[in-house]
Amino acid sequence: MRYTAQADAKKKQLTGSSPPNRADSLRGQMKSTLRVGIFVAAILSALPSFGGARHFTFLYEANTSAPGSLELENWVTWRHATGPGRFDQVDFRHELEYGVTERFQASIYLADWFYETDPEHSGSTYSDTAIELIYNLTNPVVDPLGLSIYGELRAGDRLIELESKLIGQKNFGPLILAYNATLESVWEGSDLAEREGEFSQALGASYEISPRISAGIELLHEFVFPEWRDTEKIRNFFVGPNVSYRHRNWFVTITALAQATDTQDEPDFQVRTIFGMGL
Amino acid sequence: MKKVSIFVALACLLVSCESTNYVPPVTSQMATPRKGQHVDLAMLREGRTLFVHRCIECHTLPVLWRYRTEDWPDIVDNMSHRASLKPAEREAIIAYILAVRFAEH
Repeated sequence: MRYTAQADAKKKQLTGSSPPNRADSLRGQMKSTLRVGIFVAAILSALPSFGGARHFTFLYEANTSAPGSLELENWVTWRHATGPGRFDQVDFRHELEYGVTERFQASIYLADWFYETDPEHSGSTYSDTAIELIYNLTNPVVDPLGLSIYGELRAGDRLIELESKLIGQKNFGPLILAYNATLESVWEGSDLAEREGEFSQALGASYEISPRISAGIELLHEFVFPEWRDTEKIRNFFVGPNVSYRHRNWFVTITALAQATDTQDEPDFQVRTIFGMGL
Repeated sequence: MKKVSIFVALACLLVSCESTNYVPPVTSQMATPRKGQHVDLAMLREGRTLFVHRCIECHTLPVLWRYRTEDWPDIVDNMSHRASLKPAEREAIIAYILAVRFAEH
């Protein structure tokens, strides 16, 4: 889904259709975002504690951060595609996550950007900035099913995206099972005239081998609807293992997914790493 | 047949995990005074709620008899900063864990 926005940004870069003052404005926007990010991180670094560790990278868990806790998460996702449209793309996300109440957390994606290389070009591009809210409804340990609802608003250069998610989770002792159902709407292009929708579902299992180490599996199933139509029948299915390590106030989680379908424009495999640190 | 066997095995595994009660509900028996410690039902309920909310942010919940009774206060102390626990919240969690341990004996 996000590749379309990024592909659009890349197209603009390749064709040079964007006037120079637009590029300057974009650079200025990135610098401002970075300055704000550094300022916020500096101010808030005085606060203690940790938001929590992730057991998955392509799924969210139902529990939310403790009230008052603050965490910095850095996401790196490498996507690799072979064949005629081969490319390598590395997406970066820098996120601040804050626990507002016992059941409510808010996050800001200071900057989403990516580096891409293919036979014709290579370079890095700012993608967007976003806000994310999660509200926890039920607990995955004591209730029959842990549930949370998720909302995200993303805005970038000629891009607006709304994402909503239902997060389900159940803990069976050391085993965590999680399920996410996600609906995304994207408006992009010069007049935000291009529309696209996507429904995706993800399923994950993670087993805690020791208090510090977990390992499991993640499955991702995407249904893409260009112009909110299903004429192209785009379906993608990814599956692969994950491993997570946590210690003191930091954690790192890695998932490697391979495409089990044969969609040409999608990556053959993708590896995502999330490194989180309590501030 | 093979798929059914795998499904049954997985179901048995989940049922066995679920049948272990990692966080028993608070009972009046747990609030029985011991060794001069004051515990009330409200504190124990608060401790249980915090235990199931805060601790799973980083890890799954261990069975409470995995560690010795005298080790639990240090275990909770060591993680209280990461879990953003205030002193009273930390005490409530420890009180709940110890109350469950005593109630089992």
